[in-house]
Amino acid sequence: MIDSDKSSRRAAKPVSDVLSNSPLIVANPLYTLSILGLLSLVWLLLAGQDWNSWLVGLPAVILATWSTLLLRAPAEGRFNLPGFLRFLPYFIWESILGGIDVASRVVSPKMRIAPGFLSYRMRLSHPSARRLFVNSLSLLPGTLAADLDGDSLHIHALDRGTDPDGELKRLERMVSAVYGEDL
Amino acid sequence: MLDLFALLLIFSGITFFFLGAIGLLRLPDLHSRLHALTKADNLGLGLLIVGVALLHGSLLVALKLLLIWLLVLLGSATSAHLISQYSLRRNRS
Repeated sequence: MIDSDKSSRRAAKPVSDVLSNSPLIVANPLYTLSILGLLSLVWLLLAGQDWNSWLVGLPAVILATWSTLLLRAPAEGRFNLPGFLRFLPYFIWESILGGIDVASRVVSPKMRIAPGFLSYRMRLSHPSARRLFVNSLSLLPGTLAADLDGDSLHIHALDRGTDPDGELKRLERMVSAVYGEDL
Repeated sequence: MLDLFALLLIFSGITFFFLGAIGLLRLPDLHSRLHALTKADNLGLGLLIVGVALLHGSLLVALKLLLIWLLVLLGSATSAHLISQYSLRRNRS
């Protein structure tokens, strides 16, 4: 979604190629089951506890799981649950700070802002890890992902007086743990 | 007591939405405005959702609200990135 620079855009595969990819489904039963479970939960949330709804829901969940497996990129990182559980409270706390920070800046009469751009060299390589990094840094205090060009990320900072480099490195480490990637 | 806490959360959520709108009006340029819209609204919706979930008291509804919050987070971060990228690339060419 976010990874929109031209160099990393994958060429569209022909449909027949995608469909012949089906051994994938048998190859990783744990992954398949967790996708199936997650999508069933989403259906339960959307449709409520009316069991007749599964007449539509079950085929939809199965088809959605199937297409998820077909469309999965081969090089995605491995999702790491302990890493994710460490990331979650950090993300929630930082987004609270981010909201308070920007809100307090706009209500102060003089508006303490000094907006400007800076660039940051990303060390993450997996597309999903990069997506999580870029999206969550926009919700952190003072930083906004403005543009992406290969490894270099253009960041808009609300206050150039404070250096966000340490915070960004910390976020990158947290994200790398979510996808089990070594930096 | 719990209801009172829930109402407090809902009202602080609304306050953050309001402050985000003030930011949109007061901040000087496109990128700074995106800061206010993404971050203040993200926190505002989060507080609102926790408040509504506490008032309603059902786990299923709470999870549904959480799903809505996650989709909004994804949507706002992605659209902020696209808007800022478009404005930068248009100015360059």
